[in-house]
Amino acid sequence: MSTLKIFGKGFLTAIRKTRLALYVWLATVLFSLVILAPIYFLLSHDFSRSLAGDRLDQGPLLLWLGDMIYQHRDDFPFLAGWTIVPAFLFLLLYVFLNGGILGRISVNERVNLPAFLSDSARYFWRFVRVFLLSILGYILVLGILGRGVSALLGVWIKKASSQWSTLAASLLKLLVFLLLYSLVKMFFDYVKVRLVVTESKKTARATLANFQFLGRRFFRAWGLFLLCGLVFIALSLVYYLGAKAIPAGGVIPLGILFLWQQVYVLALAWIVVFFFSTEYEFFKAHQYQPAEQT
Amino acid sequence: MGKRFKKTLFSVFCLGLILQGVSSLQARQEGASATGEGKNFLRYEIWVELDEETKMLRGKEDIFWSNWTQEPIPDFWFHLYWNAFKNERSTVFQESREEGRLGIQVGDDDWGWIDITAATLADGTDLIPTLEFINQDEPTHPGDQTVARFLLPEPLLPGQEMCLRLEFEAKIPRGILRTGYYQDSYFIAQWFPKPGVYERGKGWNCHEYHLNSEFFADFADFTVHITVPARYVVGASGKQVSAVSDAAGKKVTYTFEQTNIHDFAWTAAPHFIKVERDFLAAQEVTEEEYAAVARMVNLPPEDIRLPDVKMILLILPEHKSQVERHFKALRAAIKYYGLWYGPYPYETVTMVDPPFRTGSGGMEYPTLFTAGTGVLRDRKVLSPEGVIIHEFGHGYWYGLVANNEFEEAWLDEGINTYSTGKVQAKAYGPGMMPASLFGIPLTWFFKFPVYYDYELDRIAAILAVELDPITTFSWHFYSRASYGMNVYMRASTCLHTLERLLGEEKMLRILRTFQARFRFKHPRTQDFVDVVNEIAGQDMGWFFEEFFFNTLNFDYGIASLKSYEKKEFFRGFFDVDGKKEKVTRASISRLEKGKGKEAGEKTYTTEVRVRRYGEAKVRGEARLKLRVLFEDGSEETRFWDGQERWEKFIFEKPTRAVSAEVDPDFIWLIDSNLANNSMRLKPCRKGILRVVTKVFFWVQLGLSGLWGLT
Repeated sequence: MSTLKIFGKGFLTAIRKTRLALYVWLATVLFSLVILAPIYFLLSHDFSRSLAGDRLDQGPLLLWLGDMIYQHRDDFPFLAGWTIVPAFLFLLLYVFLNGGILGRISVNERVNLPAFLSDSARYFWRFVRVFLLSILGYILVLGILGRGVSALLGVWIKKASSQWSTLAASLLKLLVFLLLYSLVKMFFDYVKVRLVVTESKKTARATLANFQFLGRRFFRAWGLFLLCGLVFIALSLVYYLGAKAIPAGGVIPLGILFLWQQVYVLALAWIVVFFFSTEYEFFKAHQYQPAEQT
Repeated sequence: MGKRFKKTLFSVFCLGLILQGVSSLQARQEGASATGEGKNFLRYEIWVELDEETKMLRGKEDIFWSNWTQEPIPDFWFHLYWNAFKNERSTVFQESREEGRLGIQVGDDDWGWIDITAATLADGTDLIPTLEFINQDEPTHPGDQTVARFLLPEPLLPGQEMCLRLEFEAKIPRGILRTGYYQDSYFIAQWFPKPGVYERGKGWNCHEYHLNSEFFADFADFTVHITVPARYVVGASGKQVSAVSDAAGKKVTYTFEQTNIHDFAWTAAPHFIKVERDFLAAQEVTEEEYAAVARMVNLPPEDIRLPDVKMILLILPEHKSQVERHFKALRAAIKYYGLWYGPYPYETVTMVDPPFRTGSGGMEYPTLFTAGTGVLRDRKVLSPEGVIIHEFGHGYWYGLVANNEFEEAWLDEGINTYSTGKVQAKAYGPGMMPASLFGIPLTWFFKFPVYYDYELDRIAAILAVELDPITTFSWHFYSRASYGMNVYMRASTCLHTLERLLGEEKMLRILRTFQARFRFKHPRTQDFVDVVNEIAGQDMGWFFEEFFFNTLNFDYGIASLKSYEKKEFFRGFFDVDGKKEKVTRASISRLEKGKGKEAGEKTYTTEVRVRRYGEAKVRGEARLKLRVLFEDGSEETRFWDGQERWEKFIFEKPTRAVSAEVDPDFIWLIDSNLANNSMRLKPCRKGILRVVTKVFFWVQLGLSGLWGLT
């Protein structure tokens, strides 16, 4: 099956399973509320009875921001902790949700919440192990290989004679970083797909097997991954242009902007489903035909 | 040429200088400083050659210097600033080490230094044997060699002149503290042996090179001959009067001259693009603008007319597209500084786009300054505009009014930060917050908040207030950050507060008078305070006491606001006609019904408690204004002297209060908590919800991005 055909199949699967994106979106909403709660209460404490409260998003931003910084300069460690801890928990929640997403993609059934949660729980510990392995992967590839590339570029920019060289080096570094990142991300996505498709619990074995699987069809797999990345970029561009078209100020434009933003966050969640769908279809097309579908 | 012949020539030259000097000295004595501060007549002629192979400067320097004071002077002190980069025992490096990561870094091949190889007086007396390094700043750093002195064979008597010829060699450091080289580009600042300032009755004011401080020197006339390889483009303080090639055409000697400046810097790089434009006052300033400013400063319009100025820009090829941006900012600066603070007195101003990696951006020198930009810049972000306006502005605050930057840096940095904000706001309005990713301006794609400089300054001002007084000696600040935040931003915020307190017109007159009175002089903080008192027509010494000489936080606010129906009946036992009468809730209720009281007849008591949360107080003639708004649209105003910790204000009106606000006219920009300046009777969270809604999306985006890690 050609890469484009797999891409199309993955796209259709993601459309069919859009409800999965809704679950992910809901999770971001809930966690965002948790993270924002102390900020809301701080703002309420400082501004709900102040006339400055009316102008928080209109008047000079730095004046009230300065007040906040000064009043709460000793609270920053707490606020940073409050932001980091939920973010870490959300990371784990994503690991959990990934199981549900892949589990529901792999079966030809309508998506429902109990089944989704059941799959999430079923694959959770396997995916946690993949997550830990992926951290090792990121360290090895980005930390060592990426640093090597940085060092090479460093030699070049050390002798630079204009700012263009440093800018070019900086952009090149970004590009290399993104490409290396995409490799690691894709690799461990396929490990997860393999664990779901084969119903295996052996993470290390699946990881090793994945080297063989991707080694044989590396460029096709990577091309597909980058193609999905283009969809993400296209969606972001659509969001950006839409957001720019919404006039500033007023309650109604603010409401419209908020809805548009939520559509975008939902689209980002859908992109997650879309990536997994195409990877699942690719894996299925090249490696494994589940008994119930043959 | 023989040594004796050279000595004779030198003596003849010195005699010429002395004759010229005496006449200038007489002229200057007639215009002696109102503060009693004496000025030393000083003239330099310097010959310097750049050796690009060894990264060395070799030079000769003739210093003509006269004792302007009434006391004999036994020695001659001078700065050898580049010895700050000689080794890690210098004061700069010792102080840098205390700063940790904020300190300066230098590679093993990047050091710089300066050696005096010969020093002779006009009569041939060799002063080298008397050369001695001085370490008198506390805390002492004995290894520092940035200040030296010669003992004179005879004390220099009042009115007597001396002529000193120095020969020096200097290793150019790799770009450090705004001087040095990178590849074949050079920015050369603080490079020549420079005399300290002799203060009458106090002796030499000649501080070591400190990490936090800048410089202090006497006004002088400069003639500088700079010899560089022919391929270099050169820019320097003053006006270029000649460029002479050697016979082989390999070297060119540029000569620059300028009178009445107190420092001289230059730059050389082969790839500079040199662009010249004229600031034509007739085209830049309208008659209406002259008339408006003349009214404000109470001078005839013809007295504030601006002269034309030659603007020279040395810009790097990669920034060529920003040439007009640079000139537009410089025009605005020449115009508004000139209109507000007095005409720019020199013929030229040279704006240097700092050579790549020389670390020389954003620095002022007389008639020359360095700006600083990047290859990709958004016009909405006022950079490089801000730095151009600021560094040109130093031509006024530091260049013309030449305070001691070691001891009272706020007098130039603070006043100039204030002035920069005013000019920038007038010429451009608010600027957008800068934000970039991998060198790409994010402001091209996203709308970031806009702000005026004074808003940003205020944040630093309230964060730094409890660290150091603004008037602290530069190297005595708690940290480099405290130095920057207090000297630049807190001082600017205090001046904005002073402007709001006295009015824009008076503030303009204060600064214009200060500039006019202390041009080509070395004023102190007290001189500024005196001018403020004079123009304000009141003693404002308290303002400086509270905000400049102390570390007092200023914060007044509304502590409580209550508005309730006034009681007419009270419960309990009362003596009525010699008997005890008991009033209960029930009897009050009957009384009220009997009276047929209607809602419209009610009287409400409004209680406002205003607190002084900070240590700083309003004093003098200043009062704190309190405004209370009521439901019927009326308002009440009260004034408080703000001396006690709190004060209660009571209003009785047939309507409830809506809100109370101290400082409703927003005079006290220095107030560290503007949020508590007002209080509503009932909370309102609409604005908060709008902000949280906006932040909500960005938090969601951040969380969505985490998927990339799973």
